[in-house]
Amino acid sequence: MTESFLERVLRESLVDVLEKMFFVSILDEPSDNATPPVADEIAVRLSFEGKPSGSLTVQLGRSVARSIAADFLGAEAGELSDSQVAEVMCELANMICGSVLSRVEGAVTFRLGAPAIVATGPPPAGAVVYSVPLGPAAITVAMITETPICPPAAESAS
Amino acid sequence: MAYRVLIVDDSPAMRALVRRVIRLSGVDVADCFEAGNGREALAVLADQWVDVILTDINMPEMDGEQFLERLQSEELLRSIPTVVISTDGTRHRVERLRELGACGYITKPFLPENLREMLERHLGVPHD
Repeated sequence: MTESFLERVLRESLVDVLEKMFFVSILDEPSDNATPPVADEIAVRLSFEGKPSGSLTVQLGRSVARSIAADFLGAEAGELSDSQVAEVMCELANMICGSVLSRVEGAVTFRLGAPAIVATGPPPAGAVVYSVPLGPAAITVAMITETPICPPAAESAS
Repeated sequence: MAYRVLIVDDSPAMRALVRRVIRLSGVDVADCFEAGNGREALAVLADQWVDVILTDINMPEMDGEQFLERLQSEELLRSIPTVVISTDGTRHRVERLRELGACGYITKPFLPENLREMLERHLGVPHD
């Protein structure tokens, strides 16, 4: 199946953020069936305002979240409190969302809301989703926008 | 020479990461002050001199743009090099922050060497 423009941007942003800021390389192959039980996951969501407005959700396994939070902070995973792990996951979502919007919006500004921990669950209906294996589970990024995101004019013409 | 750095970001996790990158960069930093927004940063600057400021944009109470405007309005503070670290890499935002006095702009995600190079440039760190 052909990858849409936004799916590609979600993938590129996720890979970029994980590699540069969390020192994690992922197998760049979408995951359709590696989703673990919801009780083992943590989810973060933030809204954004701009053209278009919408929200982005990141969901991943709790043990992987703790592990990559430790890498981010240069600490031992067992030393971190749940709130420290949550803070880092909020920053992860913030960076992915900013990276996505910077790639799709070109010269237009946007404003990110404050990320917050939310209940885990399936991606919202209508969201564009990218999911890839990370550790024993998967990391899933889902973006939903008020209006569809299209490639920049130069790219769509090529 | 040991330098003094002020990190302004509402995310404790991001402040911790920047502090860690600075520590690993090899730049001789004696003091690393922290603030959660522009207002807190101005309070720090009322008591402490720093050699460089690293600031986020999107913060509560006083955001990065308002903070830069305040820095520019005060003669003494205007001379402190201020580098923006933000997820917003849009051209419009980068140009706006430069107009407000930012001397450098780092878009998240960034590599540790991006921050080290920016610090060395604006601190005038001599190379061996």
